[in-house]
Amino acid sequence: MDIATLQAYGFFFFTAFMVVILYSYIYHLYSSQKDGSRDYEKYSNIALHDEITDQPVEEILKDDEKK
Amino acid sequence: MFHWLEKNPFFFAVAVFVVIAFAGLVEILPNFAQASRPILGAKPYSTLELTGRLVYIKNNCNGCHSQLIRPFKSETDRYGHYSMSGEYAYDRPFLWGSKRTGPDLMRVGNYRTTDWHETHMKDPVAVVPGSIMPAYTWLFKNIADVDTAYAEQLTVQKFFAVPYNTELPMADGSKVTVALADTLEGARASALEEAKVVAADMKDQAVKDAVAAGQVPEIVALIAYLNRLK
Amino acid sequence: MENRPLEYDYTVAKLFMYNAIFVGVAGMLAGVVLAWQMAFPQFNYILGVNFAEYTNFGRLRAIHTDSVIYGFVLSAVWSTWYYVGQRVLKVSMAESKFLMFAGKAHFWIYMAASVIIVIGLQLGITSSKEYSEFEWPIDAGIVVVWVLWGISIFGLIGIRREKSLYISIWYYIATFLAVAMLHIFNNAEIPTWIAAPGVGNWYHSVSMYAGTNDALVQWWFGHNAVAFLLTTPIIAMSYYFLPKESGQAVYSYKLSLLAFWGLMFVYLWAGGHHLLFSTVPDWMQTMGSVFSVVLILPSWGSAVNMLLTMKGEWQQVAASPLIKFMVMASTFYMFSTLEGPIQAIKSVNALAHFTDWIIGHVHDGALGWVGFMVIAALSHMAPRMFKREIYSKSLLGTQFWIQTLGVILYFTSMWIAGITQGMMWRAHDEFGNLAYSFIDTVVVLHPYFTIRAVGGTLYLIGMVMFAYNMYKTMTSSRVVEESELQNATPMGA
Repeated sequence: MDIATLQAYGFFFFTAFMVVILYSYIYHLYSSQKDGSRDYEKYSNIALHDEITDQPVEEILKDDEKK
Repeated sequence: MFHWLEKNPFFFAVAVFVVIAFAGLVEILPNFAQASRPILGAKPYSTLELTGRLVYIKNNCNGCHSQLIRPFKSETDRYGHYSMSGEYAYDRPFLWGSKRTGPDLMRVGNYRTTDWHETHMKDPVAVVPGSIMPAYTWLFKNIADVDTAYAEQLTVQKFFAVPYNTELPMADGSKVTVALADTLEGARASALEEAKVVAADMKDQAVKDAVAAGQVPEIVALIAYLNRLK
Repeated sequence: MENRPLEYDYTVAKLFMYNAIFVGVAGMLAGVVLAWQMAFPQFNYILGVNFAEYTNFGRLRAIHTDSVIYGFVLSAVWSTWYYVGQRVLKVSMAESKFLMFAGKAHFWIYMAASVIIVIGLQLGITSSKEYSEFEWPIDAGIVVVWVLWGISIFGLIGIRREKSLYISIWYYIATFLAVAMLHIFNNAEIPTWIAAPGVGNWYHSVSMYAGTNDALVQWWFGHNAVAFLLTTPIIAMSYYFLPKESGQAVYSYKLSLLAFWGLMFVYLWAGGHHLLFSTVPDWMQTMGSVFSVVLILPSWGSAVNMLLTMKGEWQQVAASPLIKFMVMASTFYMFSTLEGPIQAIKSVNALAHFTDWIIGHVHDGALGWVGFMVIAALSHMAPRMFKREIYSKSLLGTQFWIQTLGVILYFTSMWIAGITQGMMWRAHDEFGNLAYSFIDTVVVLHPYFTIRAVGGTLYLIGMVMFAYNMYKTMTSSRVVEESELQNATPMGA
């Protein structure tokens, strides 16, 4: 097999691989939203409730507070 | 899958960088060494030609004129043989341009003369009725920067092994040597010698006087460069 | 002092806003002069023949492109960063003296570099590479400015209260990283004083790459400078300002995730479409062409997400000039990201390359998408920074229609000009000889160049109206309460 053939195979399988990645990512996003294991859409509120006095959507807990 | 990324700025940044850097690696690197090899007949710029090239860049000629002939009949009919990668081996930077407000200049030396350029630069409409190019009258007054061109020659010789003072084979079987002076004085003198050849074909008395007095007006250097584009 | 509640601190955001408005007008004025020069060459001698060296098209062109990209847009991007960054991370610049100092240093070093750049370009000091014309001392200065911005980004992120990074922050980070990479590689150059100390200009340098390689690196840079200065930070703005102004949550956060990673992966490949039919290898050209077409998907992902955010709230488009600007910007983004890939198809590119069609494409993106989004963002921020309402709603509305008309005149005339010239270049007579000399193809463009200049002038007029409106907003408009600043921006008659 010459280099061009190898490149062609490489290109084909890489493209196929990327397609699989893309679709499984989409499936993952929408299925985990649907079964409730994760709520992505709540993060949109980061922009809507952005006064410094607003409660963060997910607060960072300081280490000393955890203890 | 990627959910944790949006909460970890460091890994997020790393992921973004990997994804964007990938394309450059695949597209640009593989051909790098090959594309910089000169074609048979390519030769480095002489001091005056390089001075003229700096004038060309200074006035942003590449903003309106390309130096890239595409492999179409309409282009080869109009401008000559299509461009080949090795022809650009000594071009730092490349001057392909991205817009043809005026015609391509890749091989302008084949069909325009010193006299034509002189008249055209003074008053473009005089030779090309309808031209929208401005007159470049200041080129006749400003003195060209030969020193910087010489510094550039020394730089490319040192860092990129550009073959100055070396016999180079030409396409027709002859040999050509492009000289590079040892000293700045030598470089100025050789640029002036070249300038005299160009000025001999020119009509502007002020330019002729300047060259006779040992100076190189920008127009002389620019024409030397344009005549060399073949 | 201790008793004052913590507030967001917009000191740096204000500084960048002033500069964005000022350079916006100045840079577009330069563009308008260029447009008139192409229609009527006498404009090259606008300050007299003796000054033509400094006012001719060649010199002014780089000043126009660099000032609108790096002056107007980049200042606006940074203004929004120092505003949006604090808000979506829920942390104030006032909380860190160090970040405040870095932010101010960022602005002032950037201003110093800008002044030197303008003077240098006016004198003809240029490396000739489009949008990267600066010689090595300036390139080094740009690195300093960029690092300072990076300190601000990662510094603010480091002390944030909100755990998850909002969509806009992703795009700012991408902008930061990509431009850093592009700038460093494209400006790899050797100062001539290393090999020849004391000979010629000390600031002169030689590119590390020659010929075809130089072209490849330059257009990898050139294309992606457009991507990461005129697209990703503008998307960052749209993901914040449109939801905030309309009070609507982003239509789909998941779609924004997909569009983001898609755009990141695909965009960088597409640079090759600037070099079709050149001497770069065929497979790279094809790759550039193919990926340019694929690029429609993630681009439209963002644009559709924007437009659908307005779902059920379309009455706001009629009611608010700000929403008008943003919806029109998203529409132009869709239009422009469809036009680009079409031009990247090889057979179309053979016709379009080197013609004014490309200029038209750049400007429907730059004026329609970038310009409108920036105008909306600045109008949204000003009342919140200065605690005053927008001085005049009707002025803003009039500006919108004048500028929209300007953009339409601009791109339609450039389409016709580009396709006309492309067709004339390739036309042959019955014997196979070229049908037209080059000058024939220039003379025929005169009416289109004139229309374009009129369109550009209209856009500039709108920009001047905007500057006046903003000046009045900052100085003498009605003072508003915090409670009026929730979503829709308060505006005077």
